[in-house]
Amino acid sequence: MDDLYIKPGNQERGWNDPPQFSYGLQTARGPHRNLLNKRAAPGVGAPPPTPPSSNPLSPPPRGVTPPPLHPARPPLGCVATPPPPLGPMRSQRPADSSQSESEPDVERVVSVLNRALAACRQTVKDQVCSDVAKRLRLLEDSWRSGRLSLPVRRRMDTLSLALQSGQWDSADEIHRSLMVDHVTEVSQWMVGVKRLIAETRKLNPELLEPLQKPADPDQVPAEPDQVPVDPDQVHAGPDQVPVGPDQVPVDPDQVHAGPDQVPVGPDQVPVDPDQVHAGPDQVPAGPDQVPVGPDQVQD
Amino acid sequence: MATYQEFIQQNEDRDGVRFSWNLWPSSRLEATRLVVPVSCLFTPLKERPDLPPVQYEPVLCSRANCKAVLNPLCQVDFRAKIWACNFCFQRNPFPPSYAGISEVNQPAELMPQFSTIEYIVQRGPTPPLIFLYVVDTCLEEEDLQALKESLQMSLSLLPPNALVGLITFGRMVQVHELSCEGIAKSYVFRGTKDLSSKQIQVGGDKGRPPQPENAGVFVFITRFLQPVHRVDMNLTDLLGELQRDPWPVPQGKRPLRSTGVALSVAVGLLEGTFPNTGARVMLFIGGPPTQGPGMVVGDELKTPIRSWHDIQKDNARHLKKATKYYEAMANRSAVNGHCIDIYACALDQTGLLEMKCLSNLTGGHIVMGDSFNTSLFKQTFQRVFSKDYNGDFRMAFGGVLEVKTSREVKVCGTIGPCVSLNAKGSCVSENEMGIGGTSQWKVCGINPSTTLALYFEVVNQHNAPVPQGGRGVIQFVTQYQHSNTQRRIRVTTIARNWADAQSQIQHIESSFDQEASAVLMARLGVFRAESEEGPDVLRWLDRQLIRLCQKFGQFNKDDPTSFKLSESLSLYPQFMFHLRRSPFLQVFNNSPDESSYYRHHFVRQDLTQSLIMIQPILYSYSFHGPPEPVLLDSSSILPDRILLMDTFFQLVIYHGETIAQWRKAGYQEMAEYENFKQLLLAPLDDAQEILQTRFPMPRYIDTEHGGSQARFLLSKVNPSQTHNNLYAWGQVLRGAPILTDDVSLQTTPLFHHKERRSDLTFPF
Repeated sequence: MDDLYIKPGNQERGWNDPPQFSYGLQTARGPHRNLLNKRAAPGVGAPPPTPPSSNPLSPPPRGVTPPPLHPARPPLGCVATPPPPLGPMRSQRPADSSQSESEPDVERVVSVLNRALAACRQTVKDQVCSDVAKRLRLLEDSWRSGRLSLPVRRRMDTLSLALQSGQWDSADEIHRSLMVDHVTEVSQWMVGVKRLIAETRKLNPELLEPLQKPADPDQVPAEPDQVPVDPDQVHAGPDQVPVGPDQVPVDPDQVHAGPDQVPVGPDQVPVDPDQVHAGPDQVPAGPDQVPVGPDQVQD
Repeated sequence: MATYQEFIQQNEDRDGVRFSWNLWPSSRLEATRLVVPVSCLFTPLKERPDLPPVQYEPVLCSRANCKAVLNPLCQVDFRAKIWACNFCFQRNPFPPSYAGISEVNQPAELMPQFSTIEYIVQRGPTPPLIFLYVVDTCLEEEDLQALKESLQMSLSLLPPNALVGLITFGRMVQVHELSCEGIAKSYVFRGTKDLSSKQIQVGGDKGRPPQPENAGVFVFITRFLQPVHRVDMNLTDLLGELQRDPWPVPQGKRPLRSTGVALSVAVGLLEGTFPNTGARVMLFIGGPPTQGPGMVVGDELKTPIRSWHDIQKDNARHLKKATKYYEAMANRSAVNGHCIDIYACALDQTGLLEMKCLSNLTGGHIVMGDSFNTSLFKQTFQRVFSKDYNGDFRMAFGGVLEVKTSREVKVCGTIGPCVSLNAKGSCVSENEMGIGGTSQWKVCGINPSTTLALYFEVVNQHNAPVPQGGRGVIQFVTQYQHSNTQRRIRVTTIARNWADAQSQIQHIESSFDQEASAVLMARLGVFRAESEEGPDVLRWLDRQLIRLCQKFGQFNKDDPTSFKLSESLSLYPQFMFHLRRSPFLQVFNNSPDESSYYRHHFVRQDLTQSLIMIQPILYSYSFHGPPEPVLLDSSSILPDRILLMDTFFQLVIYHGETIAQWRKAGYQEMAEYENFKQLLLAPLDDAQEILQTRFPMPRYIDTEHGGSQARFLLSKVNPSQTHNNLYAWGQVLRGAPILTDDVSLQTTPLFHHKERRSDLTFPF
């Protein structure tokens, strides 16, 4: 699953609200790296061992001694927790780079969905079809009027590809990830897409043929897996750590902490030149740019 | 031979069992002298990815009052095709389908590695899972919006064939008809008057002639409980259009919330339509019930909701009546096998004290948060629907746990999220501990971490010889409905050797599982605390600890410093010390709702999590080596360390003074101090790992030396250094002094004879 990220909790509504993990992070759970469940055994009955302090009674130094520069051995080389292969902070959006190169095409996505609906019309009740159609229109309207954020548009693009190639499970999984991560944006129409996935899954293969041939050969997207991993991913790093607000008050993620906020920004206007700067996947972050994944800014 | 530690771990991994003693004292008298009863923590549905279920029925002992399941400990005569029950010694012929068995061709249930085995059994058609949402609409706009979205989201997480239903309430209770066609309809009930199950059915069928029972059920299914895949579009719209309760709330009043009647309608609806079928009632509340049956506080804001002080002064007007009301409802629900979750999000109390039994007796969840628009609630709620390695939900329903014991052992009771099924029999002890007097319990909602504490009694008489065969046997038989709706039976059979407590006391001592014992004793303490005064419970715990130390400690008379415990007991005193200070036994600084919430989670989590609750985990990160566990003690708070504390309900990252200054100075951003940046990241990484798996989501606190939130750490550590003794022992101590008058672990009465109680013969 792409879109692995963490955003801060809602500190305004809940004290010490924990950070929020994206659907991808919640489900792609590797084996436990390190269970912190050990306890130090004390010598009870006697005071705890107290190695003599260096010079505790003298006033604290005015300036702070800097941290050790070159420790004898790598400081955390033998950390109890080596970074996990699946770790959220390092493995940013592994195979999604192909789509990040171009703005997802609303025409193509909507046309796939509409063709899927057309394929269903023979077997599915009219009333359900018109209900789905209504929701697809809602999707199209939201998209065209710029109310959908980039991650939602991208994931819808991937979803439509999965639907087109008959990967129902994968399409369903993307639908779930969108419902979990972006419910505010998608809840009203996503249920129609969900129904569409469920109905097309049940269809005869021959009914699906019109769906599976691409509408416009030019728009066949590249296989995502073939695109080498973008080196910029390395930059994804530390800003995604669940930081409390008192720690880094200017953390850019927090500006967008409220999940209800509809992202307003350059991404919505497809021709806006700023869009190029939407994230590190596209352009190496400039010196003053904080290297955050695009999802974070959106959320 | 493996060490006891390896043996204990292996047993937990394979069978989900941790016993207090792994050698059992051979007589009743010797068992009582060991202070900690023979008892175990049992996780009936522990996740076992390596255990594929078998697709046939278990073979039962033919004796009518035994019916134990064939297991690897049974003696088998392969030639005669006969097996001897290891509980009642009945000799049973194998069923015809076992004709082909031999020494080299054994069925799975006879192989030693299948001491735990799971059977898939056919029991007629299996109905789908049922999820009934009961939603409070007296919420702030922002909360209601967030809740609506979470509910819409959950529709995507449910299995497509699951049945869903929706009840909303405020001043009135509305049962929503879910149809795919036409306009939205709902049935409205007054929130002030309780209704019987019959009335609810009639209410739903208003204007129709009485119908035969089955037809009535059908009407209910089609109207109020519908498969998700059929109604998800309408239900999404219905949820999206939910409005706040329209009744005006005058100044100085609380909104009128008919929680009691809403629940009654929900329980009655399921009772009438799907008894004995897996179902979850999910109650979402943003405040206390304020009218009708089950009311917890009046609607006058000037009368605050009951506090511990009011309860102690017998000044909580609605407490008894409301508790009784919800208990009756919980029992009704348990009879039908339905579990009830409570998701309570509000800054003030919502009445969990009165309502806790709804979840505690049915195995439902309680989640307590500040607002529905928090990550704490949203993610916790998502995790209710988390899936296991097979893609199945981590939830099971209608569990029935039965315990069978060999003759020398009887079962005294259970502490956990269950109700008694009142099954008397020869394995039931007269001596009750927890929910006793039965060998069967019902656990309506059960998940892979649900853990019960079971207490046993050795009944062999003193001076009687060590029982023949040398081993005591216990069998746990758990029948349940899997989330994929299969009926399954999991059978775990364990045996432990008997030991003569006079000649083999050292062996018994080294078989002691101090972690399990601490949790088992703590559950007994928490169970008592529900009905007894706090100080009495603490005194009882102290007495047990002192007796245990008398029994096993080594010391010279009148010399406290000579006191020593062997390795197998070395951590036990500090577990008890932290338990005494824990919110499970101390109500100071907690509201009655919070205490109920903490206790709810304590009596159902597995050993690891329970132990974290008793004694939080503290890890220290520094430049001096890899992260290491350190004493939960003020001496561990050092300037050049970062500490990570996990209390189960909170995760605290604490930056020592120097680290905090370095961080403030921004060293982590300089390339040459990459190592410092790594140091700052390491605890965050580890915290994240915990955050990703914990249910419910803990609160997350990132603080530093001198920060106001550092209190979360300071209140948990052992105050070995306080403002009183900072300069004691002739040298200045390292660490952080705690401003408290609490006694520290080193000065508790156990180790200092001057405070000993007169009714205890303390040996020092």
